[in-house]
Amino acid sequence: MTAAPTLPAAPAGRPDHPHRPPRQLRWLLRLHRPAVLVWTAFVLVTGAALLWLGGPLTDASAAAWKEYNACAFAERCSYDQDAIVRYKDVYSYTTIALLAAPFLVAAWAGGSLTGRETESGTARLAWTQGVTPARWLAARLALPAVLVAVSTGLLVHLHRLAWTAGEGRIDTAKPWYDFATFYANGTVPVALALAGLCAGALEGLLLRRSLAALTTATVVLGGLWATVHTALPHLWPTVTRVSSLRNGPSGTGITTGEGVLTADGDRLTAPCSSGMIPGCRTELADLGAVNFYRDVHPVAHYWPLQLTASGVLLAVAALLVLAAFRVLRLRTAGPAGKGGPA
Amino acid sequence: MTDPAIEATALGKRFGRRGAWALRDCSLRLPAGRVCAVVGPNGAGKSTLLALAAGLLAPTEGTVAVLGTDPASARPRVGFVDQGKPLYPQLTVAETLRMGADLNPGRWDADTAGRVVAGGDLDPGKRIRSLSGGQRTRVALALALGKRPELLLLDEPMADLDPLARHELMGVLMGQAAGHGTTIVMSSHVVAELEDSCDHLLLIGGGRVRLAGEIDDLLAAHTRVTAPARTDLAPHEVVESRTTGRQLSALIRPAGPLPGDWRTGAPSLEELVLSYLRNPEAPALAPAPAHDTTEAAA
Repeated sequence: MTAAPTLPAAPAGRPDHPHRPPRQLRWLLRLHRPAVLVWTAFVLVTGAALLWLGGPLTDASAAAWKEYNACAFAERCSYDQDAIVRYKDVYSYTTIALLAAPFLVAAWAGGSLTGRETESGTARLAWTQGVTPARWLAARLALPAVLVAVSTGLLVHLHRLAWTAGEGRIDTAKPWYDFATFYANGTVPVALALAGLCAGALEGLLLRRSLAALTTATVVLGGLWATVHTALPHLWPTVTRVSSLRNGPSGTGITTGEGVLTADGDRLTAPCSSGMIPGCRTELADLGAVNFYRDVHPVAHYWPLQLTASGVLLAVAALLVLAAFRVLRLRTAGPAGKGGPA
Repeated sequence: MTDPAIEATALGKRFGRRGAWALRDCSLRLPAGRVCAVVGPNGAGKSTLLALAAGLLAPTEGTVAVLGTDPASARPRVGFVDQGKPLYPQLTVAETLRMGADLNPGRWDADTAGRVVAGGDLDPGKRIRSLSGGQRTRVALALALGKRPELLLLDEPMADLDPLARHELMGVLMGQAAGHGTTIVMSSHVVAELEDSCDHLLLIGGGRVRLAGEIDDLLAAHTRVTAPARTDLAPHEVVESRTTGRQLSALIRPAGPLPGDWRTGAPSLEELVLSYLRNPEAPALAPAPAHDTTEAAA
C-alpha cells in the first residue's frame, strides 16, 4: 500500500463566495472526445468532397457536356460519360451528407450530451461538484452550438460554392429550387442543426434515458423539418406569373399554385395545360379562361425564404432551450427565492 | 449559534403528479458536526431525503434548509455520493480527480482526494469503467471529500466495500469529521456497521421519520421489559410486545418509574431499529422541529 502523506492542516478559512467559475469546457471536450473526432472527420471528408466537386469534378463534367453537345446529331459521339456520372454521384452524396448533419447532431445531443448523463447519474455528480445545474446545461449547449454552427456553416458555404461552379455549365446540374439543393445551399441546415442540438438536450433531460432521447430527438427534428418544409412556400409572398393560353403556364421556381384566370379575374383549376392542343382549347374556352397563371417564388426569393425559415427554426430552438432550463430548474431545487411550497 | 446541518419542516416528495409519496411530512433537525445514520428498509425514502438535502430534487411540499440556507445555495459546501456511485466511465482515476479540481476551483483539496484513492492501491491510469464496485466507491468518496464539504451526504456508501476497505474508509470519514468538523449523513440498511461510528440516528420507514435523535438518548429512552402475560403496559408507550407462554416481552418507552417485578434491560441499537421497523404503527419519537428558526431563515 502506498504510504499516505500526512495532510498539512487545511488552509484556514474557506475561500468562499467570489468563486472562480468551474473549468467545465475542457472536460466537456474530454468527455465527448470520440464524438468530436467523428464529427471533425465527417466535416473534413464532406468538406473535401465538396471542394473536389466544385473544382476538378465540375470542370471534367462541364467538359464532357461540351463534348456531348458538340456532337449534335452525329451518329458516333465520344465524351467522358464517367465524369458526368461521377459529378452527379458526388453531388448527391455530399448533399445528403450535409442534410443529414442536423440529425447526427440531434441524435448525439439526445443520446450522449444530456441523455446518458441523466441516465447514469453523472449529471448529479457534476451538480454536486462545483457546477450548478444551470451552468452545467449552459456549457453543454453553448460550446456544441458554436462548434456545430461553425462547421455546418462551413459545409453549407462549400456546397454553395460547388453548386455555383456548375451553374450553367452542367446540363443536369440541379436547379436552385430543387428541394435538396435549396436547403443545402442556404442557412436552414445550420438552424436545423442548432434546433436538433436543443431538442436533443431537452429530450435527454425529460426522458432521462439515452436511447429514448436519441430516438425522440431525431424524430422531433424530422417533424420540425417537415413542418418547416410544408410552411416554407407560405413564409414569403409569392409572385404571380400570367401567361397566354397558347404558351401554357410559365415561370420557374418554387410553385405554390397554378390554373387559369377568367375575364373577371377568377382563378380556376386548369383542366389541361396548353392552348395549342385542340381539345384543351375548347375546354379552356368553355371555362371562359383568358390566361394561365402560376404563383411562384422566383430566384430572388431564395434568401428571404431561407432566412425566414432559419429564423423560425432558431425561434423554436430558443423555446427548446428555455424549456430545458425550466425542466432542470423544476427538477432540481432552484436557487433561493423560488421553489418554496406551492 | 451555528446553523443546523439539515433542518426539514413537513418535507414531502412525490414523484409524478399521481405517484406515491416517497417521503411525507418529514420534520427533522440535524445539528452540525454530527455523524448521522439514516436507516430504514429499502424504498423507505432515504435516498429521496438525501437528494432533497443535496438540492438534486425539488420538494413537493414543505421546506428543507441546509447549512442555514436553501439546498441549491449550499451545494458548493455539500459533498454528495449517490447510491450508484456514478462516475464518467471513460475517464481514468487521475483524470477524474483532475476534473474534481477543475470543477471546484478554490476549494479542492488534492491531498485528501489523493489519499483516499491511494489507500485502495488504485492505478491512477486505470479507467473508471474497469474498476470494481468498491474501487469506484473509493473514487466517488475521494471526489466528495476533495471539495472539502461542510456536510457530506452519503447514500449507501459502504454497500460495495469489503470489510477491510469498509473499516479503512470509515476511518477516513471519521477522521474528516473529527479533523474538520464535517457533518456526515450516511444512509444504510445495515444497522450494525453504523453503531460504532455514528452518534445520531434517523430512522425512516414508509416515507416518514420514525425515530430521530442522538443514539445515546434514543437508547436511554427505551427499555426492554419482561413481565407476566396480560400485564397492562399503560401508561408506557409500547413499541413492540410479544407474549410467549406466561411471559410478555416488550420494548417500551417508559413514561415513568417501572414496577419492581418487571425485569428490564437496555436494548441494543439493532433491537431498537428492528422493533420499530417490525411495527409500523408504533408511535414515532422525534423532537418537534423548531418552527421559529425555520421561518427566520426563510
